Amino acid sequence: MTVPALSLKEVRKNFGPTEIIRGVDLDIKLGERHAIIGPNGAGKTTLFNLISGRFPISSGSISLNGTRIDTLEPQRINRLGLSRSFQITSIFHRMTVFENIRCALLWSQGYKYSFWSPLWLQSSLNRRAEQLLDELNLLGRRDLQAGLLSYAEQRSLEIGITIAGGATVILLDEPTAGMSHSETEYAVDLIRKVTEGKTLLMVEHDMRVVFDLADTISVVVYGQVIASGKPAEIRANRAVQEAYLGALTE
Amino acid sequence: MTAPVTPSAIAAGQGADAQPVRRNWIWFVLVIATAILPWFFYDWNTGRHSGFLLTMLSQMGMMIIFSLSYNMLMGQAGLLSFGHAVFFGLGGYSTIHFLNAAEAGSLPLPLELMPLMAGLAGLVFGIVFGYMAAKQRATAFAMITMGIGELIATAAIMFHNFFGGEGGVSANRMIERSLFGVDYSSSIEVFYLILAWTLLAALGMLFLTKTPLGAMANATRDNFERAQFMGYDPRRIRFLQFALSGMFAGIGGGLYAITYEIVTFDAVAAPLSANAVLMTYIGGATIFYGPILGATLITLLQSGLSLLSNAWLIYVGVLFISMVTFAPAGLAGMIQAHAPVSRAGRMGRLVVPYIRLSIPGLATLLGFVGLVELASFLTIGEAQGKTLVLFGNKIDVHEVMPWAVAVGLLVLGGAWLRFEVKSFALVWDDVTADLKQRSV
Repeated sequence: MTVPALSLKEVRKNFGPTEIIRGVDLDIKLGERHAIIGPNGAGKTTLFNLISGRFPISSGSISLNGTRIDTLEPQRINRLGLSRSFQITSIFHRMTVFENIRCALLWSQGYKYSFWSPLWLQSSLNRRAEQLLDELNLLGRRDLQAGLLSYAEQRSLEIGITIAGGATVILLDEPTAGMSHSETEYAVDLIRKVTEGKTLLMVEHDMRVVFDLADTISVVVYGQVIASGKPAEIRANRAVQEAYLGALTE
Repeated sequence: MTAPVTPSAIAAGQGADAQPVRRNWIWFVLVIATAILPWFFYDWNTGRHSGFLLTMLSQMGMMIIFSLSYNMLMGQAGLLSFGHAVFFGLGGYSTIHFLNAAEAGSLPLPLELMPLMAGLAGLVFGIVFGYMAAKQRATAFAMITMGIGELIATAAIMFHNFFGGEGGVSANRMIERSLFGVDYSSSIEVFYLILAWTLLAALGMLFLTKTPLGAMANATRDNFERAQFMGYDPRRIRFLQFALSGMFAGIGGGLYAITYEIVTFDAVAAPLSANAVLMTYIGGATIFYGPILGATLITLLQSGLSLLSNAWLIYVGVLFISMVTFAPAGLAGMIQAHAPVSRAGRMGRLVVPYIRLSIPGLATLLGFVGLVELASFLTIGEAQGKTLVLFGNKIDVHEVMPWAVAVGLLVLGGAWLRFEVKSFALVWDDVTADLKQRSV
């Protein structure tokens, strides 16, 4: 059996006396597109924060490609090949679109903390950034301050920043939240394109997006995974219907 | 792999990065102008330079380096430090000891390279204190730097061997070792040394903003978590930025030591640290050249205004508060805001509104200055036995009339100014909206 890309075992997290994540076991297979759904406050984003190292876990273990990551800081986890986006757009508002993407490329291109390489002479780095902007359809916005982009464009940039470093496991937190119908369609195509051949774990509320993109769906309710399986299985699952989907299909 | 990018797009991008020469012509002109300025004040009869001017220009150079280095923290990394004078001062103290060692023959180094040694000293102290401060950010960082400032200021009084106590330490800059055979006996020679080092240091710091570290310093400033999820450790970035900033501040301190040949407690103390904040903020922290403007203006006020008025520090303080309140992007920010208007050739539309703004503005300023000066002559001035003279007329500060005029100017001018500011804002919005329309 191959090692799962991401593996959570008995993960628990409490904030003070309140237990938010109550023993989550979850395996994300290599190359899978895995969606996490569940009602508001179920702990989906908290789960993301635990996996990406933003918060420490209270107990259990998390492994990335077989390596324990639950005690590592976010930058270490990122260097091992895991990258995430945020529910609330997290870009560098005062930098240009191009600079945003270039920053996201720096570590993976081996620049580290260099204060001796003039960025304007790094032609392969700059070319790579331009290519990415082209893929994101943001080349026309290259020199615009990122804070001045439209909301949907900022979300595209956020996805671009997330995948730029070449991570193999991508976590997207509600990538289409707040988008119109056509913007959502565009975002889904973009996500499909840029996560080709990678492992994707996403939190999403829009069921069209979930059933469109995901090969596997896990349902999180009240800090626990109550079901995990193929989209068709999840749709047919009684417990899920009661806990969650029922309310949506009305 | 296909390259969908046109060569022209890449060229344009590199242009934006490298800042083409033609857009920076004004800086070339300014450097040349500064270099020849002392010769316009040269007295050909006595064969002497204006000491006042040379001292002021030299002071400007050091302060430009100092405030630019401060902005590596404040503007570029979003770190508010209250102890930056530590690196300037320690660079200065070290240089005094290097000079003494050179004179004693144990340090065979030309004077031109002494600032480099000062920079190394600044770097070492930057590494030591950066290790303490850079783990934190925001308020905790500010508090630690303030603590470091107090620590060194106390040490400067306590440890006589290195700091020389209250009297400070002194040295002779004529160490008779020079790359160019100059003995630095006159202040014009020192001025050119400072000019050269200011240029070098400014270019060095400009270069740093265009490296991966510089870019990621901006990144951690704007959103440190995002930087972490890109693989970067924000503490490491802050540490490196802090240490390098200490190095440049040390260079400034080295030039200070060479110029005055004495370094005292003042060079590490809190007022100088506060000055760094003041110069950087007034000049504009968000734009690279902002601190240059701030340091120039504050030095001008320090050397010029201080001769004219006892109360000059009040004016600097009020200037600082007004900038923070009304123009948080500083002088450079104000200039930058006009750049698109100027490019579109619309500056003409702003001439009349600016004139209308300047009349009540001047009245308000006069009223304020009048009040401050009257108060100052009533207290300190009287104690010093000075009388207030305006346009050749002696003014009795005990009479009601001058006070009434000053209050009147301040109140009426202020009210009128408020009105004019509103109408100016309308014109400004109109002009900028027009520009936006055309760019879409």
